[in-house]
Amino acid sequence: MEEWLYIQNEVYPALLKGFWVSLALIVPSAIFGLVIGIIVGVLRVYGNRPVMAAANAFVVLFRGIPLVVQLFIWYFGLPYIKIYLAPFVAAVLGFSLCSGAYHSEYVRGALMSIRRGQMLAAQSLGFSKVKMIFSIILPQAIRRALPGCGNEIIYLIKYSSLAYMITCVELTGEGKILASNSFKYTEIFLIIGACYLAMTSVASLLLSRVEDRLRLPGFEHQRI
Amino acid sequence: MPEPILRIENVSKRYGKKEVLRGASLTVNKGDLKILIGPSGAGKSTLLQCINFLVRPDEGRIWLEEKEVHYAHKRDLYAYRQKVGMIFQDFNLFDHLTALENVRIGMVKVKGMAKAQAGERAVAELERVGLKEHTQKYPAQLSGGQKQRVSIARALAMDPKVMLLDEPTSALDPELIGEVLAVIRDLGENGMTMIMATHQIAFAGSLASEIIFMEDGRISERGTPEKILFQAENARTREFCAKIAEFYGEKR
Amino acid sequence: MPEGLIAIADALPYLLQGSVVTVIVVFGAMGLGLILGVPLAVGQVYGRPALRRAIGVYVWFFRGIPLLVLLFLFYFGLCTALDVNLSAFTVAIIVLGLISSAYQSQIFRGAILSLPEGQLKAARALGMSDFKAISFIVLPQALRLAIPGWSNEYSIILKDSAVTYALGVAEIMARAHFVATRTYQQLPLYFTAGVIFLILTWMGTRGLRVLEEKVRIPGYSQHGA
Repeated sequence: MEEWLYIQNEVYPALLKGFWVSLALIVPSAIFGLVIGIIVGVLRVYGNRPVMAAANAFVVLFRGIPLVVQLFIWYFGLPYIKIYLAPFVAAVLGFSLCSGAYHSEYVRGALMSIRRGQMLAAQSLGFSKVKMIFSIILPQAIRRALPGCGNEIIYLIKYSSLAYMITCVELTGEGKILASNSFKYTEIFLIIGACYLAMTSVASLLLSRVEDRLRLPGFEHQRI
Repeated sequence: MPEPILRIENVSKRYGKKEVLRGASLTVNKGDLKILIGPSGAGKSTLLQCINFLVRPDEGRIWLEEKEVHYAHKRDLYAYRQKVGMIFQDFNLFDHLTALENVRIGMVKVKGMAKAQAGERAVAELERVGLKEHTQKYPAQLSGGQKQRVSIARALAMDPKVMLLDEPTSALDPELIGEVLAVIRDLGENGMTMIMATHQIAFAGSLASEIIFMEDGRISERGTPEKILFQAENARTREFCAKIAEFYGEKR
Repeated sequence: MPEGLIAIADALPYLLQGSVVTVIVVFGAMGLGLILGVPLAVGQVYGRPALRRAIGVYVWFFRGIPLLVLLFLFYFGLCTALDVNLSAFTVAIIVLGLISSAYQSQIFRGAILSLPEGQLKAARALGMSDFKAISFIVLPQALRLAIPGWSNEYSIILKDSAVTYALGVAEIMARAHFVATRTYQQLPLYFTAGVIFLILTWMGTRGLRVLEEKVRIPGYSQHGA
């Protein structure tokens, strides 16, 4: 009975609050990340030489440096040059840039996998460059990039827990505080784990729905 | 006096509702070369794979040298498979091993022979199929005909009592078929007992001890080459032989 | 920023010692992941339905929960509940290893499934037991095919290992943070930590590419890769 009251009065409200913070981190980061990924990916394929080099350097840095280090740079490091970010802002910035770098890999792979013949055919029909990109290339590229980008969003859901390390108290942070107060570490973190499992499972279910909806006969996405 | 080596009784196999093999029976005597012919989907390949239980038959019994094979006993099954060599249409050489290692691995890992001794035997078998020069090559470096000859050497190295050949030349370019058929002919002349599914009707005609025509999972007619190829009772058999001779007749 | 450069120079030996800790954690985790991942993959491909389902749940669990949560669960929760006294370092290796086993099992599973079915058939036809066929025919080929996936897994674990700082493992990140809070040279030090990780990533993937080339089967290329 006491246990139940504890869960009802303490655990549930705290975790619900944490859940909303997590969601508030994940959703904008996923959107910004995708936008960054598409822009960088396109630049890496169609940009001129210096632009391509800059975009590639961006990807090497943001994929190669651990996300924790990046978050620390944004939150603890920037004050060194007199820039102060709130934990939440630093977290969204870090997540968006890092997952943008990963997304750009899938976008780039997808764009490169589209055979040259597709473009030649579009051009020979008199398509303008913009029309060709929107009605021929993107519809194919999106299908090819989707599995990778979707996976990246699932990763983002899990990595959003790292926001706690720069003092942005989201689901994991709320759990840590609860557990430190009650010493019920195992129970609390199992519940937290279950919350993340639910989020990642729902996300991957939605993702495979979308993939199925967009599937074309005989148009397989290549493994990258 | 014919000496039966392999006896198959009433072997059947279903996949779901589809009956791919319906009660096939066969007795193979020492030194026989039984040739299975018939349209694709007739069950030739399934029959061969059922004989060494790569496909589990739903019904039927099999005896090797008058001893029934109990395939549910793993030890019996593995021992039996060692005595029944199998040649596949697409060779199935182990891609990560050289020709020599492909021939050797069964002797070492299954029979427990010493590596050196098995190696000598492997070289001898490769020499027998005319591949002495190619012992150190990997499958990807060999032509189709050479691959199939390695796979024959691999089977021979296990000292099989019977060999099962599942369309051994179907995946080969026409100019490579001859070298493989020559090896198989040599085996037959040296007294190897074989069951072979093939479309090489001329080869079958000159060497088979019996030709077996299969259709819809059944053995529908059997007899000497002269009978099946020239005086078949069954209209379908005649039709098939005529068609196949047209396609494959000249290629020898 | 000469001050920053001095701070980096002073801290470098200390950070590099941390990279030894990082490398041990990563190798330990990858080794554990390999040892568990191979049987998991074999079980998931060839096992009975109940076993396959159980492995599926295991993989789903360890792939669906954030590393940080699992670290807290194991270190603060399970270690106390089960009354085992493990260091943060050991827990870091175990948790990263368990997660990696889930991912590696999927790499190996993919590799096994990409082999032609005839390989197993031919091995059985020679009289090999399933165990022998898998050990001598399937796995030697599958492990080769898994190297690119493995290289990817290495760079992921390497980066994830920075999270073990949350338990106080004295790896690169923990040391950079330790020095940074005392010298107030945050930006230069975190950046240095980042560069060390970049170098370790590069060295590892480079090494695995050399390995891949070394064990490559002549003339053999899967899917034109």
